[in-house]
Formats: sequence, C-alpha cells, structure tokens
Amino acid sequence: MTEVLLVEDDPAARQGLELALRRLGYGVRPAGTGEAALHAIGEGAADVVVLDVMLPGLDGFEVCRRLRRGSDVPVIMLTARGDDFDIVGGLEAGADDYVVKPVEPRVLDARIRAVLRRTARAGSPAETYGELVIDRAALIVRRDGREVSLTPIELRLLLVLSGSPRQVFSREQLLDLVWEHDYLGDSRLVDACVQRLRAKIETDTSEPRYIQTVRGFGYRFGPV
Amino acid sequence: MRTRLIVAFIVVALLTAVATAWVLNLIVPFYPSLSGLLVNPVPLQHLFYSRKPGHMYHPAPPAALAFCLTVVGVLLAVIAGLAFAASRRVLRPVRRLAEAAQRMSGGDLSVRIEPSGRDELAQLVTTFNGMAAALEGKVGELQRMEARARQFAGDVSHELRTPLTAMTAVADILPGQPGLTGDAAAAAQLVSQEIRHLNRLVDDLIEISRFDAGTAQLVTDNTDVAAAVAACLRARGWSDVATDIPAGLTMPLDRRRFDVILADLIGNALCHGRPPVTVQASIQPADDGERLVLLVRDHGPGIPADALPHVFERFYKADTARSRSEDSGLGLAIAWENTRLHGGHIEAANDPGGGALFTLVLPLTPAATAALPDGEPVTVTRL
Repeated sequence: MTEVLLVEDDPAARQGLELALRRLGYGVRPAGTGEAALHAIGEGAADVVVLDVMLPGLDGFEVCRRLRRGSDVPVIMLTARGDDFDIVGGLEAGADDYVVKPVEPRVLDARIRAVLRRTARAGSPAETYGELVIDRAALIVRRDGREVSLTPIELRLLLVLSGSPRQVFSREQLLDLVWEHDYLGDSRLVDACVQRLRAKIETDTSEPRYIQTVRGFGYRFGPV
Repeated sequence: MRTRLIVAFIVVALLTAVATAWVLNLIVPFYPSLSGLLVNPVPLQHLFYSRKPGHMYHPAPPAALAFCLTVVGVLLAVIAGLAFAASRRVLRPVRRLAEAAQRMSGGDLSVRIEPSGRDELAQLVTTFNGMAAALEGKVGELQRMEARARQFAGDVSHELRTPLTAMTAVADILPGQPGLTGDAAAAAQLVSQEIRHLNRLVDDLIEISRFDAGTAQLVTDNTDVAAAVAACLRARGWSDVATDIPAGLTMPLDRRRFDVILADLIGNALCHGRPPVTVQASIQPADDGERLVLLVRDHGPGIPADALPHVFERFYKADTARSRSEDSGLGLAIAWENTRLHGGHIEAANDPGGGALFTLVLPLTPAATAALPDGEPVTVTRL
C-alpha cells in the first residue's frame, strides 16, 4: 500500500483529507507540524508527501527544503488558490507538483499517482552523453560515474527529453507527458523541474549542455 | 498686498511729476506762453548751448529736441521697468498658487506652498495649504478604508478555504452511501452539490480580490487563438458551438486567463441564450496597431435594455426571479478584469438579428498591454 505523509495543521482539513485518501486506498500518516513531518521522513515512513504551505513553526517551504537534503520522496504542495508566492516558493523548495485547496479527492489521487509513477524499464543499453550515462534498463543516471539521485518526476523528464535528442518539446507537451496534466497545466512546473534537474546533472547551470532552452518554444536535450 | 500697491502708486506718481517738470523746463524757452506752468522758471537749456542775453529764445536746434526725447524715453523705460518689477512681485505668489492648484487637480495632494510676507496673498497661501492638507487627509482615510474593505473580502475568502478543504475532501462520501434513502439521500446530494457551488464562489471571490489588490499578473505565451477556443470547448464538453476563426492566428495571451474569458462568455451564451451559439474571430486594424475582435453570439431573447450597462457588474443578475445557476455571479466581472489585464475590453450588446452579442477586443501586440491600478504595465512573457 502506498503510504502518504499528510502534513496539514488544521485538524478538520487533516481529518477530511485523511478520510478521502484512505477511501482511495492509501495508507495515511498524518502530521500536524513541520517538525513531526521531518521526523516521519527520517523514519522512512512515506512514499509520497502531501505538504501544506502554511504551517506553524517550520513552514512548508522549509520542510520541503530540509527533506530534499537527504530524500527524493515525491512532494506535492497544498497551496492557496492562485497564490503565486506559494506556488513559486514551493517549486523552488523542490516540490514535484502542487494542488490548490480545496482539492477534490480524485484530483489529489491523480496527482499522487503521477508523481509516483516509475517509468517502465527499457531493454536498451545505457546511453552515454558526455559525462552523463542514462541507463534506461536500470533507471539509473550517472554523472562522472556517480549515481545522480532523482525524484520520479525528474527522472521521467530527463528520460522523455533524452529519448528524442535534439527534438524541441513545448512546456504543454512536457506537462502532458511527464506530469500527466490534461488541460492548462502550470508551465512553471516544467521550468522549476528543469532548474532542479540542471542543478543535478549540469556542470554549469548558466550554460547548460544537456537540457537546453529553446527561446519561445521549450526545451530540448543536447546536442552534446 | 495693499501696502505694496500704494507704494508702487506713489513711486510712479513722483516719477511722473519729476519727468513733467523736466520736460516743461526744456521746452518753455521755445514756447513762452507755457512759462506760467513752470514752478521754478529756470531756462535749463542754458546749461547746454547758450548763456548769452539776446540768444535766450533761439529756435530749438535738433540736438535739443533729440535730447528731450531721449530723457523722456529713458524716464518712461525706468517707470515701465519699475511697474513690471512690482507686478512680478505681486504676481509671483499667484503663479505659484496656480501651479499648485494644477498639480492638485492632477492628483498630487501632497503639494504645499511656502508662505512669504503677511499680506492677503500670504493668507490665501495659508488657506490653500490648509485645504490641501484636509483633502489629503480625507482622501487618505477613504483609501485606507477601501483597502481595509478589500483586504477583508480577500481574508474572508481565504479563511473560508480551510473548512472547505475538509468539506470538499469528504463531500463525495455521503451521496454514494448505499444505506441512504429518501430525504437523507436527497439531503446528502444537496449538501454535496452546494459544497461544490460554495467552492466555485470562494474561488471567484479570491480571484476578484486579487484584481482589486492589483496583484493579478499576466503570464503570456504565444497562443493559437483557434486552438485555444477549441481546447476550451473540448475541456467543458460544449460540442454544439460553431466557430469561425482564421487558422494560424497567434498572439501573446495568458493561456489560463484567456480560457477563463472564453469559458465565461460562451458559458453565459449557452446558459442564458438559445442555440446556435457561435464564436467568430478576426483581425481588425486600429489606431495603435492591429487587434483581435472575437464575437460570441447566441440566438436567445437578448439582454434587456436596462440590464445592458450592468452585465459586467459583480453579482448582477438581469432576471431577479431567475433560478440560481452554476455561475457564482462573478463570471462576467472576472472576464472583464481579465480582458482589461490584457489591455483590451468587452462590450455587451444585442444583435440586430436577435440574441445577445458579446464583443471581445484584445490588442495583438503586448506593447498595448494595460496598466495595472498601480500604474505599472505588467507583462511577463515566458522564455
């Protein structure tokens, strides 16, 4: 069973979301504070974290930043509607996706599934691009021989882009292929994830070699 | 003020008297009949060209006349100069007042004038300063009250969201419960449906409060208009809407906001008008470059004439007896704000052929983007 760490300070909202998630077949570990959430992460108790931004003490951004130091567990932020500060802050802190409160259970379910989904292993041999080795069979990425630790979303984004080197993907395409957002997804998700991916695989993030920006169109992998 | 005028008058009178005496002194020798006018009849021309007896009444040579005219001219120039200086001194505070009043009418209520002297103009300046201060205080208070009211509306909406999060999470559990029958089932259905309605209302209120606070931002991407309209219709399952939009027509648009505008206009036509509903778009020239003109037309009874000026007002309902629809009552108001953010406008009218006609006009170039309430044009273009 998929274990969800639900971090929400309001008891009613926490209880409501816990009820909904249990009915959807998830195991739920509720936490009321950021400290409790980090403690639970330390015990390795969660497959995915649903994290409210507004928390007493350590806020959602800080919790996300701290847990990202040692963990690649997928994080979905619970944000206020249209609150760009929350959304941008959450994505910069390392969240893989966000949902807007009040969230319908089926939407949360779809997002949790999307951030957890592991790309199917392929039988092809490992590909080498410069110092980067992408092993689609083992779903492992190595840079200078060292394994790069990626969240499922980051890995999927890299696999989609590198699967068709030099092909330009628009943000909308990537939202559909990687995040499985059907309609009018937030293209900032793509930008934020590209930034995080670059920080992990590029030598110089200001002059990226692997994930290049094509102004006005989107992103492409290479040419390396 | 009065003292200054009196002093100026005395100076001018004295100078005029002296000048008259001089001129008389100079010309009397040539016109003896005028000698009675002299206070002290001294033939001044002796000083210049003749002291001999018998030469007293020699006809005035051209040099004497020229001298006469020069002296008169110089004196007039001095008098005019003094009068000009005096008028400048008197008019300077008046000019400063006029400038200050102009700045005030331009909206700068912080303008004050340095008072000088103790005359009537100085009093006027003091009164002006007092008026400006009172006005500034009053307007500031009104602005603070308005900001508080807006902040309150925004805060209320945000506060409602926390209980709504819990309710929304569990809203679907009740209606699907197998044990529920009759009244209980109907009640569960109603509660679930109204939670959704409340969600929509709070969403729209928060959106409106962001426009009011001036924090709504435009994030534009180059967008294919025909594709955006098709996607909007597809996402909402509106299959019976006819579209006539040129292919390949692209312009910088905020995808989400444009979708909201389209959904509000088309949804409104489907809800309150009758089919067929049509969406037509074209490019038309304007003074400041080309613009997109998009028409949404239905074939219903149209909008009552007395309702036309109010359709974009918040919570305005043309038909008060109308049963409540899915709309929050803020749909067209939000469409209007989103359009304004793009630098365009919407017009509501009745088509001569029958039915309501909404015209959306958006500038093609981002340069014509509207200024937000704080006066800063905000356009964020991605990549």
